Amino acid sequence: MKKDKKPKVLWLQAITCNGNTHSFLSANNNRMRLFLNSFDLIYHPSLTTDITIKEIIEKKINFDFLLVEGAISSNKEFFSISGYSPYEMLNILVKRTKYLIAVGSCASYGGLHAKFEQNSDIQGIGDSLSAENLYILKHPVVNLTGCPAHPEWIIQTLFSLKDYGKMALDEKGRPKELYYGLAHHGCTRNEYFEWKVEVKHFGLKEGCLFYEQGCRGPMTHSNCNKILWNDVSTKTRAGMPCIGCTEFDFPRENMLETKKNIGIPNEVPLEVSKRAYLSLTGVAKTFKIGRLNKKLID
Amino acid sequence: MRTVDIVERIEGEAKLVCTWDDKIITNAQIEFLNFRGFEYILEKKAPLDALIYTPRICGICGQAHLKATVEVLENIYKNLNYEIELTNKAKLLREIGLNIEIIDSHIKWFYMFIMPDITALSSKDFSSYKPLKGEKWLKSSFITSEIIKSLAIIGGQWPHTSYMVPGGVVSDPTLLDLTTMKNYLDSAINFFEDDFAGVCIDDYLSFSKAEDLDKIGKDLKDFIDLCFEHGFDKIGKSYNRHLVLSSTELFKVGKSNKRVINRVDLERIEESCEYTFNIDKNKQSKEAYTWAKNVRYADNFFETGPLSRAVISKRAFISKLHEKFEDSVLTRVMARMDEFVHLLYITKNLISKIDISEESFVKPKISLNEIKNAEAKSVVEASRGSLFHDISIKDGKISKYNVITPTVWNLGPGNKSEPSVAQKAIIGLDSIEKAEITLRSFDICSVCTTH
Repeated sequence: MKKDKKPKVLWLQAITCNGNTHSFLSANNNRMRLFLNSFDLIYHPSLTTDITIKEIIEKKINFDFLLVEGAISSNKEFFSISGYSPYEMLNILVKRTKYLIAVGSCASYGGLHAKFEQNSDIQGIGDSLSAENLYILKHPVVNLTGCPAHPEWIIQTLFSLKDYGKMALDEKGRPKELYYGLAHHGCTRNEYFEWKVEVKHFGLKEGCLFYEQGCRGPMTHSNCNKILWNDVSTKTRAGMPCIGCTEFDFPRENMLETKKNIGIPNEVPLEVSKRAYLSLTGVAKTFKIGRLNKKLID
Repeated sequence: MRTVDIVERIEGEAKLVCTWDDKIITNAQIEFLNFRGFEYILEKKAPLDALIYTPRICGICGQAHLKATVEVLENIYKNLNYEIELTNKAKLLREIGLNIEIIDSHIKWFYMFIMPDITALSSKDFSSYKPLKGEKWLKSSFITSEIIKSLAIIGGQWPHTSYMVPGGVVSDPTLLDLTTMKNYLDSAINFFEDDFAGVCIDDYLSFSKAEDLDKIGKDLKDFIDLCFEHGFDKIGKSYNRHLVLSSTELFKVGKSNKRVINRVDLERIEESCEYTFNIDKNKQSKEAYTWAKNVRYADNFFETGPLSRAVISKRAFISKLHEKFEDSVLTRVMARMDEFVHLLYITKNLISKIDISEESFVKPKISLNEIKNAEAKSVVEASRGSLFHDISIKDGKISKYNVITPTVWNLGPGNKSEPSVAQKAIIGLDSIEKAEITLRSFDICSVCTTH
């Protein structure tokens, strides 16, 4: 394919830790090569040298995909990008793109950076488009939530939009096909979850992290346990509870502990009644499954 | 004359404001204009939540922040006489994770930040280093994504895992996991030998003379040649005072001001805001121009980072280069590259030392949420240098959290009487290209510097 036929991608960094950039740079080798062969990444503040963001603005360069990493604010005293506030920059660039993709939870909803209360207007892209730009896009903003977003989510979204021109989004603006399931699906600890076998403490392969360690796997929309991280693992597989980083309310309080009421997690798996869950737990606990109560590898 | 240059391709952006007199830089201000307020965000949060927050100060050195946080929380226990005895396995898994992140960061830094600038000075064809397109650039990005898998095996993912928790680590690797981790590091060793330095790792590790520079081939040789061609062996010099706050298998704690002393007193660290913005305008100095603070040890500016670590622990090859070329751009970059190969070797050995039958985690006797009043400090060696965390807990919540990052030591503003480390290295130079490469030799990170 000729270079000028390739869709142009611009990656903008707003209020961020650059975690999504490094997540993306850690993508599978072959996938990254395919992405670079199929798209023209015309600008990324950490990478490209051909053109500056100033030139893109001044020369009125158009592109196909605007990827934004980081939260948006109009407060230039705390944050500016080449002299513009993130809000100004976003609203200039949105006019030049076909698709706008929020990469990560900060760009989607403000995320962790919105917890900086002294800068009171930190929010996600959806809430940061000016009135005149609110309806300018031909496709709704795509939120690739996650802290960070998985590189594969970014690559799959770009290819889907390139080939099909649209994708189904859920009520939070996330691609349904990426976020329909729960982090729980594919977790290697699921059998422990079913039979209510708690992990005794951190540092064990055996046991479920939902009952004590704060795991949000059963109520967090993500496919982490299906498309593994760095091709090899996930937090819950390794032994770290899911902290719900793809959800609207990330980061929550006391993320490494489960709030409980009479021994039952305060929040039970999505759309399960608490009473039913209590009965189910009682029954499941009567099964004493030897295999699940000893070391996996003796 | 005053010029303003926006420095991109760092983690974030900075402004380099130079004052010129007859084509010589007489003053250099490094302005970091972005502030995310992590220290404010952490206030009133549950202490364990800091394990989730602080790695997100920086997407490339999150594990260093994680280790600093887990250790500052363990030091809280220690200061209350509930000392946690970590297993050797937990200690090893933490150091291994941090080392892998440093290795990954150093390789990225060389190909993403150093080579694009230094090859731009040459009229020769260096298109293989071109970001996103050149074969050498692509290969480096592929190898870093491979290396980081070895950290994902114990952390579940990278970036942004919080696999270290007070009492140990959350993961419990199998023997096959450890073997696979070593395999990924072996890929990196192959990369080092075949593509990066063109010399067998054992031969490289035996280098002990400045002349051994001539034995280096491949990409690192391109850098070395360009360095000599453009005089980077003579520029970039600063105070030549070095500080390392924490010890590991490879690094020794200490300071060097002509001679090395392996002792550091954390009480002598002092942060100042003479030129730093304040979120309370009433408290802001009239001369404020950056969100970075400055930090000094015993009333002096000290450099921190790979060069400082090599000097303090007296690593043979870099010590000889340092004798000959002092704290120049050449020595600083070589120290960082030398560190990555030493870390590869050491980390593989650390993996071999793990006894998988040991526990990964020992549960602390009391919850941090029950702690009425306590304070603690911790220090960690991160990719760019020494990282310091300081926490106060009141009624089970964080009441104060102070972070001093490596880049604050090197890139913060000076004070009334003296320029900071990077400022001093830039003052006296005769071109903006040299100034930017000198600045870059410190491994600038905007997000860390201002946090």
